[in-house]
Amino acid sequence: MIIAERKPMKELLEMVSNVRRLLVVGCRGCVAVCSAGGDKEVSILSAALRLGVKKAGGEIEIDQDTLVRQCDPEYIDPLNDRASKYDAVLSMACGVGVNFVADRCPDVNVLPALNTTFYGANLSSGEWKEMCAGCGACVLHLTGGLCPVARCAKSLSNGPCGGSQGGKCEINPDVDCVWQKIYDRLSGMDRKEELRQIMPIRDWTTSGHGGPRRRIREDLLP
Amino acid sequence: MSKIKGFCCNYTLSVDDDALRQEGLVPRGLEIERLPCTGRLKVPEILDAFAEGADAVFVVGCQIDKCHNLSGSYRASKRVKYVKEILKELDINPACVEMFFAGRGETEPVVAAARVMASMAEEGRDTDKV
Repeated sequence: MIIAERKPMKELLEMVSNVRRLLVVGCRGCVAVCSAGGDKEVSILSAALRLGVKKAGGEIEIDQDTLVRQCDPEYIDPLNDRASKYDAVLSMACGVGVNFVADRCPDVNVLPALNTTFYGANLSSGEWKEMCAGCGACVLHLTGGLCPVARCAKSLSNGPCGGSQGGKCEINPDVDCVWQKIYDRLSGMDRKEELRQIMPIRDWTTSGHGGPRRRIREDLLP
Repeated sequence: MSKIKGFCCNYTLSVDDDALRQEGLVPRGLEIERLPCTGRLKVPEILDAFAEGADAVFVVGCQIDKCHNLSGSYRASKRVKYVKEILKELDINPACVEMFFAGRGETEPVVAAARVMASMAEEGRDTDKV
């Protein structure tokens, strides 16, 4: 899922410093699952903003709502009418949601409440780890299911660098060297000979270096 | 007079807070809200208490390993910790909110908590008042 985290309160308070009527809008998609922008977080942020604005001597009226998703038009288009009575909409969706509101709701002053961080998995309650970089050219079938693009600090394609020591990455002793893990995993599956095959230089155009990506499925188009 | 808000679980405080005030046992500015369990207390409710003028807020739940609802007071303590983080971000003294634990039906720890928070609020009132 997409992992995100709330922006610092100081940044958010500055963002809404000229706002008198604010609608805080959460999303029940990924950001709800990673406890960054669901119903609960909308309530907490609204209360924190009320307190912060009051402490600064200001006044603000905050309403709150949470949409099923902010990345589908049927859920955000109603904001075009609804948001007219607010000075701003503070979106607690990931960057996709904020962009989509901005694209589809021309008169809505949409503001981001979150920093969108990575695609990750939930290791345990309150802990998430990056697992995918969304590079658009998956090589997981060659690496035992472990991603060298997202999980190697240098995104190396052909084995570890000299900074791999004792199975750990040189950037941080708490970070596993994913190439060590790939080697161990493929060895355990009696597939380590496959690692002798050199991966060609990656074509990064699928990773956004060729501009914003788009996917079309003709069979699903209206 | 400092305004103190206390959230107490139904199993800790056995005496009505009006009675405590009349006896002069707790600060006059104390308001106590009883909850079925402190595990029901949400982060926004604590923040709202500050927004409504409280100088300090405290929560009293069951002893952490003897919660009537098993983990209610533990959950409350984690939420209080989170509120402290938010208060820090808002430049409000995080010591303005505290979690306390009391045995079943024990009023004394609640009275003590109220006094500690009142004293703390009086000290920091001028600088941290919302």
